[in-house]
Amino acid sequence: MPPASNDCEIEFRNISKRFGPIRALTDVSFVGRRGSVHAVTGENGAGKSTLIKILAGVHPPDAGEILRDGQPIRFQGPADARAKGVSTVFQELTLLPNLTVAENLFLGREPRRAGFIDRGEMRRRAREILGHVGVELDVDDMCGDLTISEQHLIEIAKGAAAPSRVIIYDEPSAALDAPGVEKLVRLIEEQKAAGKLVFYISHRLDEIFRLCDVTTVLKDGQHVATRPTRELTRESLVSLMVGRELGQLYPRRSARSGAPAISVNDLAINATAARVSFEIKRGEILGLAGLEGQGQREIVRGLVGLVPHAAGSVRKHDAAGETKIGEAIVASVRAGVGFVPEDRKSEGLYLPLSIEQNIGLGMLRSASMSSRARIDKTRVKTLMREMNVRARDEKQSVGSLSGGNQQKVMIGRWLAAGVDVLIVEEPTRGVDVGAKAEIYRLLREFADAGGAVVITSSELTEHIGLCDRILVVRDRAIVAEIDGAGATEEIVMRHALMSAPGQGAST
Amino acid sequence: MMGRSARRFGRSGLGYVAIGLPLAMFALLAAFAPEFLSLQNIVNVNNQITALLIVALGQLLVALIGGIDISVGSVVSLTSVVIVSVNPALAVPAALALGVVVGLANGLGVSFGVHPLIMTLSSMTFLQGLALLWLAGSGGTVPAPLVFAAKTSAFGLPAAFYWCVAAIAAASVLLYFTRFGLRIFAIGGNAQSAGLSGVRAFWPSLACYVLCSLAGVVAGIYLTGRIVSGDPTMGAPFSLDSVTAIALGGVQLSGGVGSVAGAVLGTITLGLITNGMNLLGVSPFFSAALTGVLLLGAISLQRRKVIGI
Repeated sequence: MPPASNDCEIEFRNISKRFGPIRALTDVSFVGRRGSVHAVTGENGAGKSTLIKILAGVHPPDAGEILRDGQPIRFQGPADARAKGVSTVFQELTLLPNLTVAENLFLGREPRRAGFIDRGEMRRRAREILGHVGVELDVDDMCGDLTISEQHLIEIAKGAAAPSRVIIYDEPSAALDAPGVEKLVRLIEEQKAAGKLVFYISHRLDEIFRLCDVTTVLKDGQHVATRPTRELTRESLVSLMVGRELGQLYPRRSARSGAPAISVNDLAINATAARVSFEIKRGEILGLAGLEGQGQREIVRGLVGLVPHAAGSVRKHDAAGETKIGEAIVASVRAGVGFVPEDRKSEGLYLPLSIEQNIGLGMLRSASMSSRARIDKTRVKTLMREMNVRARDEKQSVGSLSGGNQQKVMIGRWLAAGVDVLIVEEPTRGVDVGAKAEIYRLLREFADAGGAVVITSSELTEHIGLCDRILVVRDRAIVAEIDGAGATEEIVMRHALMSAPGQGAST
Repeated sequence: MMGRSARRFGRSGLGYVAIGLPLAMFALLAAFAPEFLSLQNIVNVNNQITALLIVALGQLLVALIGGIDISVGSVVSLTSVVIVSVNPALAVPAALALGVVVGLANGLGVSFGVHPLIMTLSSMTFLQGLALLWLAGSGGTVPAPLVFAAKTSAFGLPAAFYWCVAAIAAASVLLYFTRFGLRIFAIGGNAQSAGLSGVRAFWPSLACYVLCSLAGVVAGIYLTGRIVSGDPTMGAPFSLDSVTAIALGGVQLSGGVGSVAGAVLGTITLGLITNGMNLLGVSPFFSAALTGVLLLGAISLQRRKVIGI
């Protein structure tokens, strides 16, 4: 029996938290020990961020308590948590662009002399901290002038600067370049050696296995397991995170693909970008994969005419003939192309309005401006039943639904409109795992019924599990076409990351 | 290029336009209006801009947290009424108390979600009405010490000069040497991020509105002493002129970017326009029209985005 009581720094006991109708955390309990690096992992939306925001004092828990050294502890806010020795490096940047590096490092606890800010002392200590982390920057630089990677390093330095016993890193490596990651690793190892407890929130397996002594897995807001990392393998960790085989999450692929629904010819999203050409066939789900910010978003948005494109044409083929689309979103919609934006809350849905009105809007697509706005209520109800929208009734406001149900309503609008092509950005962003499977099934059924679907997604597994064909986008050009059934993360990543010799960014 | 100039000017909002405008104005007037450089005229300009300068420095504080206070002109007017209406011994404390109350009302209203423009528009209208109810026209007796403080001169320099120096010094110390100053830049930059660093917006924001109203009171005391009479509409132009002044000085109304130097330069620019047009015998209406054009021009030439805000 290890001396459990005296190296226990933080204990979560039965923590629960809900945001409106969404249960972010349910009854989570585990222990973090001094002198260890403790990974908290899980899929997107598993509750990792909520849990650490509770520990960081940003949110109070609805139920349960946090104990330190066996004593319950409550934080009045981030400042209070920091004062009590819990410092946090948030995933989103919290640096003020109009403050210098030194000012940012000491904001909220500025050194003073005779009542005034002691800027000399502040600069000196800031230089010390930067030197310790290994960042070579002028402490008088405005943070707004730094690169994103530099800003994240400063953010990390800020967490390290505070005198604390518990340090939380929330997805710290997401925006760091490779040398930055090395600096972070060194810093964390130092902090561990100094007997501090480091929480490391990440879903990157490499980093978890490299850095962390203990791993806690959350899933759908619930605690799944807390185990020493050396007892885990990649496979066992993934199955803890996902809780089911990939095959169960994704529907069967269809065998047939039909005539082209849309053909894209020489589309260039701006004057300097490469021209892309591809077809979207009926009956298939096509994925545009790649690292974030490589142009997938611009290509699909250019395709429907949401953003202007520099060159090329997009045609939609129907039984009756073909239509030129892509010049304006309204024309694309009229031709039968539905677009589901990644930020459905601000770009797609009318949050205060009811489900019925949000779906019914699709039915008004072909109505003239002067005709009465009629919504076929039975059709809405049928759609809600088919899509398995979980709500009190069709009058409930969309804003009070969970992410998954909101997405279903968004897709339902296009089904009501009778489109036969769906362009879906990030189909399951902010959607819990259960609803994910239903949305995948919905898209598959749409394709099986003769529709065509294009998705973009930052989750590689989504492309691999769902798509019939994957186009890999790198630097605003399509660099590979991969058959979905044979695709692996490795193959897609290789194309997404590496450029063939002699054809770099100039293509 | 952009990065370099951003680094040089930091979060001051100053740029070549904000600095160059008053210099150019000065050079033009020196060349075309012979009496411009006379000591008497310089003293005149100083006298004319003192009250606006004090108000503009208050407006600067509110602008730095992303607010706006257009009630400050009515505070100047009401101060003037209070000074000539209450017991002379209580005049200044009463006026200062008034400033605190108005500032608290504005600040609390804004904290609870009323848009700053609407909140201060309400108090502007309310206070102007109050001032006119209390004193229908100009008049009244100004306590002698206040007249002395506004009109005397020491070491060959007029009182106005000392008022300006004191106001600039107070604003500079507050903004550049205290935690409060740094924190209002932080709050104006991004209140949410500042909150995550443990700096809450509530108290500093409230303090900015109170300080702005107090600046209005001080300007009102000075102005009442100088014209030796109460005037219930005396401050009316200051509400918007102070915003014009800081905008000319590169202060960004969205918050987080601005400087004492900017507020001073903007005020000087406005003062030189008025004085210059006066010297050149141009109609004051024309000078108002010119100010409008100048403001739009100056804002258009300034860097729209300073250091990512």
